[in-house]
Amino acid sequence: MNDTNQTDVLFIGAGPASLAGAIKLKQLLNEKKRSESVVVIEKAEKLGQHSLSGAVFEADVLDELIPGWKEREDEFVTQTLANRVEKDETVFLLGQNSSLKLPEFLVPAYLRHKGDYAISLSQMVNWLAEIARGTGVEIYTGFAAKEILTEDGSVTGVKLGEKGRNKEGEEQVNYLPGETVKAGVTVLGEGSLGLLTEDLVKRFNLGNGRNPQVHSLGVKEIIRLPDNNNFGSNRVIHTMGFPNKLLTPDIFGGGTLYSMGQNTVAVALILALDWRYCDLDPQRELQAFKSHSLVKNLIADGDVIAYGAKTLPEGGYYSLPEPVTNGAVIIGDSAGFTSVRKLKGLHYAIKSGMLAAEAIFQAIEKQDFSRQTLKLYPELLENSFIMRDLKAGRNYRQVFTRAGRTGLYLGAPLSLVQQWLPARLSTRPDHEGTTRARLERQPDGQIDRLTAVSLSGTAHREEEPSHITFSDPGRCARCYQDYGCHPCESFCPGEVYKFEDNELMLSPSNCLHCQTCRVKCPHQVIMWEVPEGGDGPKYKLM
Amino acid sequence: MNYIVLVKQVPDIRNIPDEAWDWEKGTLKRGLLENVLNELDKQALVFTFKMREQHGGRVVALTMGPPFAEEVLRYALSVGADDAVLLTDRKLGGADTAATAYPLAQAISKIEQELFHGDREYVIVSGMQSVDGDTAQVPPQIAEELSMVHIAYATAFSFNNGQLRVDRITRKGSETIAPDNYPCMVTVTQWTEPSFPSFHRTRWAQSQEIYQWSADDIQSDESQIGLAGSRTAVVKIFSPKEVSKKTCVFENDVDKLIGMLRESYENKLESTEKDEQPKYHLPEGREPDYQGEIWVFAEQEGGEINPATFELLGKATELAGQLNEKTAAVLVGHNIKDLPQKLISYGADRVYVIDDELLKDFLPLPYSKAVSELIGEYAPQMMLFSATPLGRELAPRVAYRTKSGLTADCTGLDIIDTKRGRQEYTGILQQTRPALGGNIMAAIITQNSTVQMSTARPGVMRALEPDDQRKGEIIEHKPEITSSDLGAHIISSTLRQMTSEIKDAGAIVCAGAGCKTKDNFEKYILPLADSLGRFLGEEAMVGASRAAVELGFTDRSHQIGQTGQTVKPRVYIAAGVSGAVQHLTGMQNSDIIIAINKDSKAPIFKVSDYGLVGNLEEIIPQLIAALDRSGN
Repeated sequence: MNDTNQTDVLFIGAGPASLAGAIKLKQLLNEKKRSESVVVIEKAEKLGQHSLSGAVFEADVLDELIPGWKEREDEFVTQTLANRVEKDETVFLLGQNSSLKLPEFLVPAYLRHKGDYAISLSQMVNWLAEIARGTGVEIYTGFAAKEILTEDGSVTGVKLGEKGRNKEGEEQVNYLPGETVKAGVTVLGEGSLGLLTEDLVKRFNLGNGRNPQVHSLGVKEIIRLPDNNNFGSNRVIHTMGFPNKLLTPDIFGGGTLYSMGQNTVAVALILALDWRYCDLDPQRELQAFKSHSLVKNLIADGDVIAYGAKTLPEGGYYSLPEPVTNGAVIIGDSAGFTSVRKLKGLHYAIKSGMLAAEAIFQAIEKQDFSRQTLKLYPELLENSFIMRDLKAGRNYRQVFTRAGRTGLYLGAPLSLVQQWLPARLSTRPDHEGTTRARLERQPDGQIDRLTAVSLSGTAHREEEPSHITFSDPGRCARCYQDYGCHPCESFCPGEVYKFEDNELMLSPSNCLHCQTCRVKCPHQVIMWEVPEGGDGPKYKLM
Repeated sequence: MNYIVLVKQVPDIRNIPDEAWDWEKGTLKRGLLENVLNELDKQALVFTFKMREQHGGRVVALTMGPPFAEEVLRYALSVGADDAVLLTDRKLGGADTAATAYPLAQAISKIEQELFHGDREYVIVSGMQSVDGDTAQVPPQIAEELSMVHIAYATAFSFNNGQLRVDRITRKGSETIAPDNYPCMVTVTQWTEPSFPSFHRTRWAQSQEIYQWSADDIQSDESQIGLAGSRTAVVKIFSPKEVSKKTCVFENDVDKLIGMLRESYENKLESTEKDEQPKYHLPEGREPDYQGEIWVFAEQEGGEINPATFELLGKATELAGQLNEKTAAVLVGHNIKDLPQKLISYGADRVYVIDDELLKDFLPLPYSKAVSELIGEYAPQMMLFSATPLGRELAPRVAYRTKSGLTADCTGLDIIDTKRGRQEYTGILQQTRPALGGNIMAAIITQNSTVQMSTARPGVMRALEPDDQRKGEIIEHKPEITSSDLGAHIISSTLRQMTSEIKDAGAIVCAGAGCKTKDNFEKYILPLADSLGRFLGEEAMVGASRAAVELGFTDRSHQIGQTGQTVKPRVYIAAGVSGAVQHLTGMQNSDIIIAINKDSKAPIFKVSDYGLVGNLEEIIPQLIAALDRSGN
């Protein structure tokens, strides 16, 4: 243990929630001329490389965090302001060749995006980090937190992952043991499916009596179009239907097409992970989406220049854990702050970080980091737009799932009244949705999954032990008996899993860190750990 | 003892995004590439930290670059450097290797004065070369500027009674060498696991001040830095990628396939020869910019001439013919009486012989002194070296000493007339070389120089048929060398059969995951490589895809693809390789590609000339039999 391993406040994960929280906290400290250290650690090699979002951003929250941000001359700001949404369309895709545009008056308010901004989260993270450093926040990339440390019922920091073991698990000459980083308050902003958060929730009983968290998976491409293109700028399109079946819908989700400036378009498909098809390959579904006549025409002559995948929490209000305990708080996607109606979480992430900062600041002033002081954070949350929105959509995803077997036509109207349903509708874990049903989607000559993986830039040190292991490898054979296939071969957007003659061939180096496998493995035998810091995707435009 | 480690920030050429290519211009948009620390410089850091562990002292990391190059210095600090110096100034931009070496040498002198307080007992350590320029010229040129010994291709070191000894690779094996004086320069080519920065060291590094020096701070002579100080200029950059798309011919009749292979293999051999036909004629009434003989440095070790020298003589003869000049060879060593006639038989009109006992073994300081003297006396217009370890150590020093421009590792040498701005050039040497890891080609000319110098890649140029009756002139030169000029002494040397490297192989059989087991690998892939080698009459090596390496078929030095080696053999057989883009980037520039796969839709076929669809276990034995039949 070294002095340089002691921090006052430690944020885990340099995403929008942590960076906003760190900025806000440092602002408050600076105002009072306090010099407590605010440190952010991030497992990606460089900032923004593990950040992926839609993203159509409701920017009001930035006015609060960085007053006058629109006047700044940063590249991110000018680019963001240039990408203000002016054309906002919601379209039903009926089969592969026809579509139906929803008249604007029929689009519910929460699905309207005019005045929002289409942004790249990777770029936003770099921008926020610059501002954070300007206020005195320290940010270190390439460090993965592996373990929550506790003393006397209170969180005291984290243990970082070790580096430099070989495939056999032996220490190499450059072996670096996992260091301890201590903190007065540890802030978990790990994003969706944060492993430390799950551990904390379990150890401190923060999820008692809540619905299990459920997730969607987003797969996204950035496409560069020729100067003279059919898409235009300042335009966002949200779609429902194809490639999902509209009449017997069994996948909750939809597609998005956002203009991102410089003739690029972000094309994404979001699919609820409780899908029933055992052979569904989300990357292939995205290709199918792109083959719809409407989409195809819009992105004609485009080149795919980037690819990525990420999950988002969709359990909503009834799945939220208690976001505070002694010495720790949970913010952003880690805490489950996503509106499933809007499929948005970015502004909640930022706001939750800021609210946590207020509570932490008070705790610093009192020099008391117990739950008792930090619980100001959930109190502030309760009165914020975050909880207002989440409560409003509290049964939203559930009615779709429940109605799934009977059809969207039941789900959609129900969704409009779901908040009046008297009872809390429960969720069930996503992997339970898998059945023998097959989609049998044929590849259609667009980009294959491995090419897509290379466009994510993902890389892992090839000598390190696999960060993906199996608690009971024998059960993989059960999948084959139950489904006639190995669903992991299909559901992984990074093609990590392959079976040759029933023999598993693992390519952990392809991993995109989305952790779909952990959620979706039917027998729950896949174990995903954080690999060495610095590994993983290298997103720049996501 | 103290240490200065030279580090360089380079573009990440392993991960070039498609959008970074400007296909029309054939150039790369450097702004879209990630910047990383040159991999061999990480090795130099590890090497230095080990020296410090044993001998104590202070490690200073030094780089020259734009302000954001600070990032690599922070890394150096985070893994163990004590101080860091960033040499940054717009005036230093656009520099070639000479104009880079000079200011770095100035900065090293300043470090010696200000950080080491005049203590001259220090070692400068650097990676052998950088992945972007890949010239390996800057360290020897710094050593020349500072008149110090340079020990290249270092793999290990030891201290013997406090005296530094360095193990290094030579063309014929390895040797242990000790510098006679400090400071000295060591360039590293070892491979070990690079250090990981720890959290506490990273946090400390972030809080450290980095020395920032400008061109004025190091008192540099403006005529020796930046564009003005550069003796080479890039004429154009173009893409080496062939635009032509391949269509795969599927042919499961192995005898027919072997017939087609034989035909296209011979066509390929012929077409490379045709490309090298001379084309240049001096325009009427114009004088070429450079005049004098065309020289070739004749590389010999232990009385045996490196065959690459004969290739250079072939090229030199062709160039000399176009310019109506003579070809000459420069032979340095001791007891080398038999060799001049051999050089004459391969095309030399003259052979300059520098025979001295002190020059028995190659050492860069006395060799560069002797060769530079000779250049001063006879004023050639051009001097070619082989891009062998020896050539790449010697040429940079000779070029720097004689104020000549040098282009490294050329694959093409032509005489051209060209224009740059208002400057017209007549009958000058255009030197074409790959850059950025072979991702682009650059054509370079020499300016403001005494002699036009190149090192040329072995195996690319063609030697002439030797003519034992050929007559030539032998001129002996007595160098002014004393034992104090040696700079270092060789403690021991070992001859060793060098294993060929897969990246230089002329033919490769690559196994993919479809090969399934190590047994299959040994039963099918190895014999196929043997038969292919016999059939072509050149060595065929075995490669593996990443998946195959992970299955343990062979070790990682055989891995082909994005995270392994990039290869360009004349014949490439992919057996059970599906052809993920990560693999294709490592082999798609091979001349003739044959794929064997059970899935006819496998992407490997898209880059293949010939395809065989079916099980390896059935096809490969048939293929081996057909190769053996046809070879006999």
